[in-house]
Amino acid sequence: MYLTGAARRWVGEKSLRSSSLFQKASLGRLGGVIIGLVLVCVYLSFSNPLFLTWGNILNIFRAQSVIFILAIGMTFVILCGMLDLSVASATGVASMVLGMSMRAGCGALPACILAIVTGVGLGFINGFLIGIVRISWFVTTLATLSIYASVILVITHGSTISLFTFDRFKSIQYLANNDIGPMPIILLIIGLLYLICAVVLHRAAFGRAVYAVGSNPEAARLNGINVPVTVMIVYTIAGLTCGIGAIQQVGRLTAAVPITDPNQMLAVIAAVLIGGMSLKGGEGGVTGTFLGSLFLGIIQNGITLQGISAYWQGTVTGLILIMAAGLAVLRESELRHRIRRALRAVFR
Amino acid sequence: MHSITKRFPGVIALSNVDLNLYPGEVHALVGENGSGKSTLCKCLYGFIQPDEGTIEIDGSVKEIRTPTSALQLGIAAITQELTLAQTLSVTENLLMGRLPRGRLGIDWKKAHALARVALDQIGANIDEHSRVSSLSVELQQEVEIARAISTQSRVLIFDEATSSLSEDATARLLSKIEQLRSQGVAIVFVTHRLKEVFSCAQRATVLRDGELVAVVKMSQTNESDLINKMVGRTMTDLYGKRRIAVGKPLLEVRNLSTPDGKIKNVSFHVRRGEILGVSGLVGSGKIQLGKALFGAVPATGEVTLDGRRIVLGSPSNGLCAGIGFVPDDRKNCALLMTRNIRHNLSLPWMKTDGFTHFGLVKRKTEAALAGKCVERFRVHAPSIESPVVNLSGGNQQKLVLSRCFATNPCLVVLAEPTRGIDVGAKSEIYGFIQDLAEKSAGIIMISSELPELLGLTDRILVFYQGELCSEFDPRTSGEEDIAHAACTGRALRARARELASQMEKC
Repeated sequence: MYLTGAARRWVGEKSLRSSSLFQKASLGRLGGVIIGLVLVCVYLSFSNPLFLTWGNILNIFRAQSVIFILAIGMTFVILCGMLDLSVASATGVASMVLGMSMRAGCGALPACILAIVTGVGLGFINGFLIGIVRISWFVTTLATLSIYASVILVITHGSTISLFTFDRFKSIQYLANNDIGPMPIILLIIGLLYLICAVVLHRAAFGRAVYAVGSNPEAARLNGINVPVTVMIVYTIAGLTCGIGAIQQVGRLTAAVPITDPNQMLAVIAAVLIGGMSLKGGEGGVTGTFLGSLFLGIIQNGITLQGISAYWQGTVTGLILIMAAGLAVLRESELRHRIRRALRAVFR
Repeated sequence: MHSITKRFPGVIALSNVDLNLYPGEVHALVGENGSGKSTLCKCLYGFIQPDEGTIEIDGSVKEIRTPTSALQLGIAAITQELTLAQTLSVTENLLMGRLPRGRLGIDWKKAHALARVALDQIGANIDEHSRVSSLSVELQQEVEIARAISTQSRVLIFDEATSSLSEDATARLLSKIEQLRSQGVAIVFVTHRLKEVFSCAQRATVLRDGELVAVVKMSQTNESDLINKMVGRTMTDLYGKRRIAVGKPLLEVRNLSTPDGKIKNVSFHVRRGEILGVSGLVGSGKIQLGKALFGAVPATGEVTLDGRRIVLGSPSNGLCAGIGFVPDDRKNCALLMTRNIRHNLSLPWMKTDGFTHFGLVKRKTEAALAGKCVERFRVHAPSIESPVVNLSGGNQQKLVLSRCFATNPCLVVLAEPTRGIDVGAKSEIYGFIQDLAEKSAGIIMISSELPELLGLTDRILVFYQGELCSEFDPRTSGEEDIAHAACTGRALRARARELASQMEKC
């Protein structure tokens, strides 16, 4: 094997060994959100003694639980280089189905299954239109955002279905709000979902297909990956998380609300992007999504603890999103080199 | 440029390289792929900044931060990658940012006239009104060249600008370069085609692995000396020797056509152990042929491989049938640039039993596969976990080839397998192709480089406007024969016979 000077230096002796753990963690991508998390946590724990109590930490997870769940689906979609703008509306429809079926006398389990099936169905519609019919994801999900939101109003005539009076609703409420030992049940469920998601993305053939489609759809196609079907499944997964998210949402609100919150969609997308994922697709993972969702949750919690008006929340989320995107630019461009060079010049 | 150093993660792309340019000189930059030629050019035209070193123009140190500031300093570059706005017209692209203004907005009459002048300068036969997206890659490259020349810069950088040009357009460009040189322009010329270097350059800087090897006067060197300096060893036989005879017929193609009319009723066959060359001009349908056979584009016709009929039009069918395909554009069609080597190499195996277990990829099998590919194809990389983006062009191409060969295909379709890579990697790739042919696989090699077709293949088919126009035996024909057939659609010898019969009649 012939190697010239620099090439030998580059290849090194241990050329073909697997890389170190540090490399795998790819702190470059997660660096921003981790530093942000640490800074905010340090600030909040010093300025407010309540922040670092176990109860408050669990509160953060509970309040952010729906975003945590929806962000999993969005991770798959963004990995494909697309977005799902209809998440909040689809979650709304699924929660309405849950509410209405319970009011009509369904038990908790069948109602939950119905809600999940609804979510999957709505996601499938998105996926079919985008993957198979090949309408652009933007048009499709923008349209379904509007359609799903209006469907809720049509089927409920705009009225809230409150469920806390129903006995059979108690089990859902229990799942959403109560603890096993020190851990909230929902946190365990979220942890399980993230674990499954991580395994699917990093170990399963399907996960590889998702990354391939996001990275280079033509290369994926030429290597035997069915791109349309992959896209369809990805949106169906997003729908599935909407179904699961809907159950948690209803469980927490103890009612199915006919008005969808437009900020929810933004928060879900923001969580994923803050986690260091690129809108171009093909890069990133579920760890970033988890940290991004957590970060948004802590910010929200901090705003409440500090007694700042909740009206500021959108502004803060938006600013963080811009900062995260700015970090991504810094990561990808020459700018980082330039800053490093400038710093060197200063300290010399 | 003084002692330029540039580091990329895991590799020193340039270390202490000097480059001096004089007005009225064509300076060639030569070296293998990954030797740092393009990096040096990018530093010069402000696309990237060197970590160390200075650039002086007319004796004063200048910092070139962006391509725009390079332009203001009189430095223009033409690169391999096209930078045209696809949806705009040729005129708008040529005069981008400096369209002439009339009383009512843009003076289109004047603009088109200016564009015409710029195109005529390089003798390009392009309508200035047409949309760039309607032009072939070759013509787009000519537009790009015309644009750079029309900026009237004092330094022009041609970074692999001729790699997508036909022989004719290259000749026109070289004469234009000669003219610019006589006008006192300093020209940096980067190419893998040494012939061009000798026909136009006065001096050459040889780079190897990011280090300056030599600066030579062209009048005092020759081709093999230059190659020796580039690779640091003697190239004995670039193409290798065939050790086995061609076997039984493997692939039978009858009346292959594509609905877009790029291929019309093509019929031919490939035998086991045979390397079939396919030649033709840009847009002659030779690339489309490869895509159609593999199933990457819809096609009709009767294709039988090893006695079995192949269903066309789906890449997975092609893969299952045992066809391997190496696309001509590795960045856009072959590699996942955001992913690492391991993920790229295991891509075609995702539906294979034994590679996955209940839908989960078997890690050990995957790592073993990747390790074997990297080792056998001598891909220079820190590890199988390193991102593909950080590899040089030659190593990326070796990766694509190793992925294709690892699936044990019985027929391999290679589209421009050595485009834009250095002599060393080329020679290695020829060796891999020979090895595969020895295992009695059939190989279809589609290429624009005539020397490699003549040196490597057993038979050469020439395409002209989507049709198979003639067939050559590389042992008895030369570059002119094939080039003539590719340009006119008629074989030179057939034409000679025609003339002879006419003479007889007279």
